[in-house]
Amino acid sequence: MARLPSSKNKHHLTGIDWILHGFDFMTKRATGAGNMFQIVMELEGLPAENEVRDWLDVCTRKFPLLGGRTRRDFNLAPYWQMPSRPPQVSFDVHRLQAGDETLPLLERGVNTPFRSEREHLALQLIHAGESSHAAVKFDHRLFDAHGAEMFLSMLQRDWEEGGRCNWEPPPCEPAHLSEWRDKFEAGKQVNRTFLRLAESGPPRALPLGPRSISQGFAFRKITFTEQQSQEIIERAESEAGYLMAMPYTMALTIQALHAIFVNRGIMTGNYVIPVTMDTRVPGSRPHAVFFNHVSLLLFRIHDREVGDFHALLKSIKQQMYEQARMGLARDLLEASLLIRIAPLPMVSYLVKLYLKRDIASFCFSFLGDTGHMPTRFMGREVSRSYHMARVPVPPGLGVFFHQTHGRLSVHLSYLRGVLAEGEVETITQALHSGLGG
Amino acid sequence: MPEMSVEEIEELLLAEVANILLADPDTVTVDAPLHSLGMNSMAFVELLVVIERVFRLKLMETDLTKEDFQTVRSLASCISRMT
Repeated sequence: MARLPSSKNKHHLTGIDWILHGFDFMTKRATGAGNMFQIVMELEGLPAENEVRDWLDVCTRKFPLLGGRTRRDFNLAPYWQMPSRPPQVSFDVHRLQAGDETLPLLERGVNTPFRSEREHLALQLIHAGESSHAAVKFDHRLFDAHGAEMFLSMLQRDWEEGGRCNWEPPPCEPAHLSEWRDKFEAGKQVNRTFLRLAESGPPRALPLGPRSISQGFAFRKITFTEQQSQEIIERAESEAGYLMAMPYTMALTIQALHAIFVNRGIMTGNYVIPVTMDTRVPGSRPHAVFFNHVSLLLFRIHDREVGDFHALLKSIKQQMYEQARMGLARDLLEASLLIRIAPLPMVSYLVKLYLKRDIASFCFSFLGDTGHMPTRFMGREVSRSYHMARVPVPPGLGVFFHQTHGRLSVHLSYLRGVLAEGEVETITQALHSGLGG
Repeated sequence: MPEMSVEEIEELLLAEVANILLADPDTVTVDAPLHSLGMNSMAFVELLVVIERVFRLKLMETDLTKEDFQTVRSLASCISRMT
């Protein structure tokens, strides 16, 4: 008798994973490459190329998820299909000559599409004199920012133990095809929130620019020393309150970007800013390395609130509080499970439909110091690390704060054509002076 | 609003902090700074929501300083003063 297909051993995707798949689809359609991000580690010294290549080959075989791809189960729930052959991981080495810059290579790396639907990780090693950069590119469909950091720690442990680590595969995610009433109740709350966000028209957004322009992302980085970072956090606590660095940096970012909108004469609509929040907590599932363990908070900022920094800060904190009280992030996790039935073109259509065209003014996140990032990588000391994220298109614009080992860095990420060079300079200066650097 | 001693408030806050952080309750102590336990902006706001629900205090809207907020002990003593 033929066996019925079983869902028990499959890693099903959550609703948030499916939304990330939708963003990947949208971004591929707009730019030819998906929703990827890169973690760059500045290393003291030069890892031996052959050693890295051999280790990478052995190590990645321990993570079959790295070679998986999305499929629909017989019950229509999407799941991650394990590969029958070892995962592919790209490894490129570049040697900088005197006068060469690292940034163009890093930008090229993060803008290069994966070679196939089964590739989700790539490593680029850049030798620059006596130091080097290791840039690891991640597919956002399989990793979120903290998961990627945890994965790098696992790789480092494997390196330290001579490739002898054995990793337990993560437990299978169930299909979540029960308790429909809870999902629909959560859906009702999320629906109301989105309708409120869109009640006064589409969000204020910058045009994406002509498609003839190269559609890769460009980046601008601001870094701070440990001492400067400490001063920034103290200033945030004194102005916004204890543990309120996220609203403080978000308020500074809104003011910095507002100047660009005003100069362009884009004065209609509210700013709508989605903020990713990690749903992992210390001590939670250590296997939560793969897939997306995040939810969203959604902020709406009116033009009149932007000029007064303290009013802006108060509005952000108030909205954050209200969303925590309503349990919006939890509702979004629950409600998004309903959207998995929709094919990806429809997911991207639905996301845009909600907000009447543009899905956000820009993206923002503040990744605090979780201690996940390794202090050494491939046998070398990590002197600094930072994230470079491509942003879903639209909006194709994002500002990301990242704190690791006590040091703060900020990345402006924009699709080429969204910002002019002078505007990038204006935003960078505004952020730098706002943060007191 | 329940009448509680400072010690009872501390007990309640310890349990809530452990719950929000999904941490082993034994690892959360009254004098540990909340940021050292891994609490971030959002987790802290969740704690403030719990405080509003139990004590009817909207601490988000007050001008309490870092010293008032940063440990379970200081937060409990602050709540006790305000209730």
